Amino acid sequence: MALKTATATERGAGRAETWRSFKMATWLGWQIESNWADPFLFAIYSFAKPLASAAILVVMYGVITGGAYNDPLFPYVYLGNTFYIYVGAVMTGVSWAVIADREEYKTLKYIYVAPVEIPIYLMGRGVARFITGSFAVIITLLAGVLFLHLPIDPAKVQWGLFFVSLFIGVVMLAMMGLLLGSLSLILVHHAGFLGEAVAGALYVFSGAIFPLSVLPPAMQFIGYLIPITYWLELLRRSLVGGVAEAFPTLQGLSNTQLLGILLGLSLVFGVISIFVFRACNRRALDRGLIDRTTNY
Amino acid sequence: MSTEFAIQTEALGRIYKIRGGKRNKEIRKELVALEDVTLSVRQGELFGLLGPNGAGKTTLIKILTTLLSPTSGWARVAGFDVSKDPKLVRPRINMVSGGESSGYGLLTVRENLWMFAQFYGVPSKEAYRRIDMMLEAVGLADRAHTKSSELSTGLRQKMNIVRGFITEPQVLFLDEPTLGLDVNASRDVRRFVEGWLAEDTERTLLLTTHYMAEADELCERVAIINKGKVLACDSPAALKLRLQRDALFEVQTTPLDGLPMSELEKLDGVSNVTHTPGDGHATLNFRLREEAALVGVFTTLSGAHADILRLTKHEPTLEDVFVDLVGRSMAEAEEEEAEDEQPA
Amino acid sequence: MSSQPKQFERLSGWRLFFNTIAARAYPRLIGQQRETSWLLFDVFLPLFSVAAYVYLYRAMDAPEEYVGFVLIGGAMTAFWLNVLWSMSSQLFWEKEQGNLSLYIIAPNSMMAVLLGMAMGGMLATCLRAIVILGLGSWLFQVSYQVVNFGQLFVVFILAMVALYGMGMMTSSLFLLFGREAWHISNLAQEPIYLAAGFYFPVKSLGFWIAAGASIIPLTLALDAMRQLSYPGGEEVGFLPVNVEIAILMVLAVVFVVSAKLLLDKMEKLAVREGRLTEGRR
Repeated sequence: MALKTATATERGAGRAETWRSFKMATWLGWQIESNWADPFLFAIYSFAKPLASAAILVVMYGVITGGAYNDPLFPYVYLGNTFYIYVGAVMTGVSWAVIADREEYKTLKYIYVAPVEIPIYLMGRGVARFITGSFAVIITLLAGVLFLHLPIDPAKVQWGLFFVSLFIGVVMLAMMGLLLGSLSLILVHHAGFLGEAVAGALYVFSGAIFPLSVLPPAMQFIGYLIPITYWLELLRRSLVGGVAEAFPTLQGLSNTQLLGILLGLSLVFGVISIFVFRACNRRALDRGLIDRTTNY
Repeated sequence: MSTEFAIQTEALGRIYKIRGGKRNKEIRKELVALEDVTLSVRQGELFGLLGPNGAGKTTLIKILTTLLSPTSGWARVAGFDVSKDPKLVRPRINMVSGGESSGYGLLTVRENLWMFAQFYGVPSKEAYRRIDMMLEAVGLADRAHTKSSELSTGLRQKMNIVRGFITEPQVLFLDEPTLGLDVNASRDVRRFVEGWLAEDTERTLLLTTHYMAEADELCERVAIINKGKVLACDSPAALKLRLQRDALFEVQTTPLDGLPMSELEKLDGVSNVTHTPGDGHATLNFRLREEAALVGVFTTLSGAHADILRLTKHEPTLEDVFVDLVGRSMAEAEEEEAEDEQPA
Repeated sequence: MSSQPKQFERLSGWRLFFNTIAARAYPRLIGQQRETSWLLFDVFLPLFSVAAYVYLYRAMDAPEEYVGFVLIGGAMTAFWLNVLWSMSSQLFWEKEQGNLSLYIIAPNSMMAVLLGMAMGGMLATCLRAIVILGLGSWLFQVSYQVVNFGQLFVVFILAMVALYGMGMMTSSLFLLFGREAWHISNLAQEPIYLAAGFYFPVKSLGFWIAAGASIIPLTLALDAMRQLSYPGGEEVGFLPVNVEIAILMVLAVVFVVSAKLLLDKMEKLAVREGRLTEGRR
């Protein structure tokens, strides 16, 4: 029997399946992760954890500078940390999603058997985490504006730049989520903490809470290769333009150039994540890892 | 403290309160899982608990193994009250549940079993001796050093079964132990269980199952349970003797389109009939008060344009006993239980 | 009926207790040996998150002692996370896998099982702490001048006893609440890092907040360790070291005793409510 190639109809059906996989995964992630319906959980994940994380930095800053919250460094630190919430949410969310689906809900094998595109599924779960993480981001931003006089003036915000950057960030983080989710497929139960560990490591290199120039040159170089660095810089520039300009690290690059670099690096990471997924997926299928339980 | 019985219950009951979802936290209903269960199992006995899914077998096991407290009545295992003295019960029992995995996937079979033996204070040397002996007995010796995550479901269940025995319990609870095992493996397990009990008359075993043949083969006495109540408790032979007065026939016909069972049930001499549709045929099981009632049965079937494909007379089985007690077969009872649990 | 089987003498009492600890630690140790990926993201990667705070202090031109504070706090975080995730919430996973009921019906002590889980994870925990403190101190050129090694050792030991006692106490909640208690463990990360002053002197939060946070053993332990690590450290200390040691002693006793009582109580409650074997999402 000769091998068939996909007809135009089948290719169209394939695109529909991709979109269906994405919608389903995003919906599923929202159902599992959305805490707004439960006040207790909402309080934990959208208030307590993000505000505590911000407060740690605020106190550290206050202790050393004697409360100089008007200095440009403060909004730099605060905004970087606030939007970094998205990074932690997506990374931890996707790696835990794989572990939970595999070992707690035991549904990963059924997802594999279903006509669902697994990479799209993982990215969809990442996007769901991005959406649910927005509550924490908004609350943390509001707290900063209301109580710490963060200099965000709605009239001066470059909204176009902000939303374009945010959108690119969603896609970029979903790609990184795919990368981590792929690794989780072949790792054991403790891989649930992989996302947290990687997000924590990137916290150093992405200039989230201090300018890259503070790092030794070799580490700065790593920071220049990570799309998150440019993403955070763009968000800061769009919200508090003047503050971002106070730090020399990326001063020489215009907004357009930053957007271009962000897009380019996101594409590179996207390609890497697809390759990593293929390799991890093959290994997981070869070794029968899709339905194993590995808690110890 | 009683020394005559390994397990005793008196008017044991358990009611679950089922709450509504997050939006509706009021109690929606109560589920009576067990009601007025009074049983006594002698030391050294292999006692069976037989019933459909959802009958209350697992609930009873959970109470007897101190995982769940009763809402009424009392229960004693190995002479100690399960509610008041659970810590005195636990060193003397063990439990194996079918269809569940235990242990850790990254450990080998031998390592998992050793670990559980340690929780019961079995010295390591003794533990390994028992493990090796029992793995040999159940045909798992060649997989002793395999990680349990790499075992098939059936082999994992064998490991689970060995786990129950290596701690040398006085009372062992097997909850559907052959679930998921193939025919040969099930037979191995049954042989093993019989051998284990025969070795020491102080060992007692309570087995729950919904496989009639298994209960018939293994158990000295069987309690038939349905919807939380014990309907009968006696040896399989004695239970079947109850039906000896009646004639049991299995009739296979062409499909019965539009013939209600009530038409057959109301015939003279027919005590009970069950209908199992098949692929291109129907199977009817009759319990007749007199064989002559067959004439009326054939007449009715003929009137419904059903051809007789086969007629078999057989000895009563525990399934027949169940039907006699409950009024429908085990499969029909499970179907009904599943429908009851559907949301309105 | 005979009360014990005849063939061999079972371990009981303290022997069974320690046997159980060893047996439950075994899967952890073997698991770590067979799957070594934890070395990367449980030991080395966390050094980076701690480094972020170091660089933040350097960006603010903070005194170098503060870098040491961050490293000490980061190292102790390892023990806090071990208690939270390797002990307390582990019972949730055990229930999901079907092992919890087997632990309950066995004659061992749940305290021993929990300690076994924690001890099994101790290798990874200690490695993480050593990497953060040792490697971190070398990388960031931090030097310490320990004022009193004896007191430092006592503080560490008391903190561990109190911390693990607290961990056993909180794990009893998992017997009852399941998935909700998992969320509480999640809650007990950043807010605790903040309240207990993991990365800055807890005195900065004010007396009453610091006093309230002192119920967490690591609050006073970290404060005492900082005071003992640098001459003049008492300037940033909350209470004198001797007072903190005395409070830690009380906490250790209270938590260990409470753990026993609460574990028994919660188990009884869980048995009554039938929650030991249900899968709660």
